[in-house]
Amino acid sequence: METEEDQSLTALLRDRFRLSTISIAQAQAKVNDLEVSETVVACVADLAFKYAEQLGKDLELFAQHAGRKSVNMEDVILAAHRNEHLAASLRSFGNELKAKEPQSERKRKKASKKEDKPRASTSVVDIPD
Amino acid sequence: MEVNSFDPDLIHSIFKLVWTRRALEREKNESADALDSEAGAGASKKSRPTSANGNALKLSCEFLRIFVTEAVQRAAAIAEAEDVSKIEATHLERILPQLLLDF
Repeated sequence: METEEDQSLTALLRDRFRLSTISIAQAQAKVNDLEVSETVVACVADLAFKYAEQLGKDLELFAQHAGRKSVNMEDVILAAHRNEHLAASLRSFGNELKAKEPQSERKRKKASKKEDKPRASTSVVDIPD
Repeated sequence: MEVNSFDPDLIHSIFKLVWTRRALEREKNESADALDSEAGAGASKKSRPTSANGNALKLSCEFLRIFVTEAVQRAAAIAEAEDVSKIEATHLERILPQLLLDF
């Protein structure tokens, strides 16, 4: 049951989310030297937004199941369980995040696992410090 | 190399919206049950909304970024196979079932 306030907040978040999706989708289409139609982008944006809400619900359930109040990286990786490649990709991204923490002085391990799906290889994400 | 991605704060806001909504539901359900909560700590534990750790948010951003990327990439593959220069709704339609199964 959504209050009016809830509804306007949702609409605001959906709009901001749509903007980010547009930029990601267009950048990706460019990689393939293609254009992407507005309808498609709007569709993907709305779908991804619904998915984000669903993801939030799943993460909460996983954390609760583990007896925690706070969602952590393991929960997110678990949410990707349907697809091996996705889970592996997230796991290595997660390891890189952990390695960047000030406490661990470990060198970042280069993620050598590559997805064999045709996509821009971003399994090693170079986050500028 | 600059990677286009979602803003962790935006994702956090979306999650918080979902979680506070669910926390309110739980609170409502609990007051509806006239039962004395067996675990006294249980009542307050359940009504506080879930939170997320920073790395989990960054990972969720990556998750959603991959979702969008995969959708576009798979549709692009179909468009290329058809020798068309623009990704249209019909291309998206065809990859949608497998996309949803994979995520």
